Amino acid sequence: MINKINRRTALLGLGAGTGALAAAGVLPRSMGFAQAQSSAPIKIGFQKHATGIGAAYGRWYGATTDAAVKRINDNGGINGRPVEIVTEDDGTDPSRGAEALEKFANQHDCDVAFGTLFSHVVIGSAPRAGELKIPYFVVSEGHHVASGGLNRYTLQPGITDVKSQVISMAPFVANNLGKKVTMIYPDFAFGHDHRDFFTQAIEAQGGEVVAKIAIPPTETTFTRYFPNIPRETEVIYHVMVGPAVLTFVKELGEFFGPSRPEIFGFIDSLEAVDINSSGLEFLEGTYFWEGMPRHAQADQTEYDKAYRAAVGVNERGASIDDPANVSTFAHMFGCWETLNIIKAGMESADYQGPQDRTKLIEAVEAVTDMPESEDHPQGDKLFNGKTHQTFGKQYISKVSEGRLVLEHTASIEDGLYEDEVDYTTQSF
Amino acid sequence: MRRSQETFFAVAVAVAVISHLAAAPAFAHAAEQGFVLLLPTTAYITAGTLAVAATMLLLLVLKPGQIDRVFRPYDAAFKARWTWSLDVVPLIASVCLGFLILIGFAGPSDPQENLLPLTLWTVWWMAFFVVQGLVFNVWQWINPWAGLHRLIQPDAAGVYQIHKDPSVWPAVVVFLGFQGFVLADAAPNDPDRLAAFALGYSVFTFLGMSLFGRDFWLRHVECFTVMFNLIGSMRVARSGITVNIGLPGWQVFETTRPSLSHAVFVLVILASGSFDGLHETFWWLDQLGVNPLEYPGRSAMIWKTSVGLYAAIGLLTAIFAGAVFIGVLAVNRSKNRLPVSFAEAFVRFSITLLPIAIGYHFAHYFVTFMVQIQFVIINLSDPLAAGWNLLGLNSTRVKVGFLAVPETVKVVWIIQAGVVVVSHILSVLLCHRTAELLCNNKRDIVKLQLGLSFLMVAYTIFGLWLLASPRGV
Repeated sequence: MINKINRRTALLGLGAGTGALAAAGVLPRSMGFAQAQSSAPIKIGFQKHATGIGAAYGRWYGATTDAAVKRINDNGGINGRPVEIVTEDDGTDPSRGAEALEKFANQHDCDVAFGTLFSHVVIGSAPRAGELKIPYFVVSEGHHVASGGLNRYTLQPGITDVKSQVISMAPFVANNLGKKVTMIYPDFAFGHDHRDFFTQAIEAQGGEVVAKIAIPPTETTFTRYFPNIPRETEVIYHVMVGPAVLTFVKELGEFFGPSRPEIFGFIDSLEAVDINSSGLEFLEGTYFWEGMPRHAQADQTEYDKAYRAAVGVNERGASIDDPANVSTFAHMFGCWETLNIIKAGMESADYQGPQDRTKLIEAVEAVTDMPESEDHPQGDKLFNGKTHQTFGKQYISKVSEGRLVLEHTASIEDGLYEDEVDYTTQSF
Repeated sequence: MRRSQETFFAVAVAVAVISHLAAAPAFAHAAEQGFVLLLPTTAYITAGTLAVAATMLLLLVLKPGQIDRVFRPYDAAFKARWTWSLDVVPLIASVCLGFLILIGFAGPSDPQENLLPLTLWTVWWMAFFVVQGLVFNVWQWINPWAGLHRLIQPDAAGVYQIHKDPSVWPAVVVFLGFQGFVLADAAPNDPDRLAAFALGYSVFTFLGMSLFGRDFWLRHVECFTVMFNLIGSMRVARSGITVNIGLPGWQVFETTRPSLSHAVFVLVILASGSFDGLHETFWWLDQLGVNPLEYPGRSAMIWKTSVGLYAAIGLLTAIFAGAVFIGVLAVNRSKNRLPVSFAEAFVRFSITLLPIAIGYHFAHYFVTFMVQIQFVIINLSDPLAAGWNLLGLNSTRVKVGFLAVPETVKVVWIIQAGVVVVSHILSVLLCHRTAELLCNNKRDIVKLQLGLSFLMVAYTIFGLWLLASPRGV
């Protein structure tokens, strides 16, 4: 088998050359890689949704990954070694996800694997990561890591999970929007998670879910479900996803007209869709959870600014050179932050090669606070080494004149819940 | 008189198309599929279907033989000689395929960065299919096997001589396998896998040409040559002593009568294309109990997709045969008429489906092509992934924003739907002309098309519905 040519390897070849010049004293040290025991690159297998239903996310996860790796390499790499990304398409397919991990471990000699978004691909791949004993850093926001369903080799340090996101919304909803909530959600695992987590959380705030309206996933028209919304409803909580979301918004607007209850949703519904699109006018004045504020805020941090510039997105979270192309801004920061955590973990563990994989996992498990910084532009994080899950700030934005304006920041504490697993008790 | 009827006919077609476009009200809304769902596609589908039906009604006023003029080619009175290039270009194509296979095995594992899947699927399968079927005979230039084989083995004869004519039945079987790979394989985009497939097929073709003779193999077994020749009969231009140009399909009436295997090949092309669209829809996934919002991936769907594909081919063949049979029965029930042969009608009418197959191919892949061709161009900047930047495009990102703007999504959808409608109208014209070949009086010409007319209208609705349906793959 001929060794794989990789576009990034080639580019890194230039980087490595620069490193040699730096080592020889021709270039300032900051511009090259420090001399390390091994000058071989650290190989990170990127399990990419290049094709399949996750391809739109895959493109942006790829762009963010490239930007993060460029920054890491520009700053000297990891332990003085350049980072190389080896991409395998998982087709957003659990079986192929597991095959990608096998290629990373056995064919490409990757040090770690990283990047997966879709829950079913994570769940399909994680057991193989455990068998192959390769650290698997996912960027999925699913609760499957913290729920204890996976293994010691699977970690989610760069993005919060859906349980934390949902429960941290309850205090704001109950205190500002209303206590009688009607939930409208797609009738499968994703929607059920929202239903179950939020019902518990709002009750803890003295509120209640007065109706749970489950919509079949293949539904494309929604008007017939709206009469099931009780009159007493003060807040509608919606998490519809899929191509019919726009129809959902339009029909909801037609149903309520100008007098509507408060409306709260998850930006997952409109990820990569311009909130200012015609047809979405009804969303004016409604609220959205955002993993990271898509639109640059008045008090934008330097970290946010640097992150956007590196990834190539503008103040509206869209591609700088293709402004109609809105990014998956609420999720893709997870790639950036996860890569920085891998770097920090490897440096802490003095990672030299695959023989140090367990040291790397232990080093990441030992991480706790990760303050907001250029490495963590989304905000402060608190990592729980036992559950392999990170916790962080959550953002609630209000649609105001076609902009998502930050209305409330939920604290890390708002999203904490009791541990459901202790992976550190599992042997390697 | 004849001129005025030609003009009338041209206007009728134009009116049908324009009425379809004009039926689209100014209705702008929010990412591609979501925007399409907001379009008044039911009205568009109705307008498109009415345009096809109206064409059928207009044909009723024509006297037998008059439509013949529509398909009569125009002699452009210039010569086109490609002889030199036909010796050289196919060899370049062979070298390109060799390089592409090497890139497939040794290049980037990301299919969006590897020129093998990008070129084969985007340039060859999506684009050349349409170019071959509409513009010019691109396959005679880029067939990567024939030219090289001619160079290596000038003697076209193989080791074994087969005297029995198998028609294109072997090619039908090979093409069925290819369609299975395209639609049901877990990862047809995976560079390694595709390289193995392309290499394997190239070896198979070379061996076949060497063992059984180049011409025999290309004519009867090599499914892409057979397919490109078949759809090539719809091209507007043909180069003979001079170049002749005519309405797509005019060449059908100037070539020899196709065989039953050709008819089945056409049905396989059409049914595969339609099933490609169908198997992505929420409707299909719902039938299978698959949640499109949590699509389990192609690996979990291999058998379901395979069975669906081959069942769709069988079903379309049966429906088409039934539609032809109704017409033949209607004609043959009349007394004092020469009976029409069902077999001949089946074969001849099948060719009239080619415009629909080409039109739907265009419509189905149009959006994907516009995105993927950007990846092709960007990757040409560094074809060997060696860090080159030949075109200065290495840091360029693919632009997909046009799919997130309702206005452009609407334009794109109308182009897709317009092509589907026009292709059906063309099929209706070909169908009428074919009926005239088989019957010699107006009443029988209409009767013979009874079943097919319903099929054409139903297929218009089906094709447009596929474009308007939410997809989950």
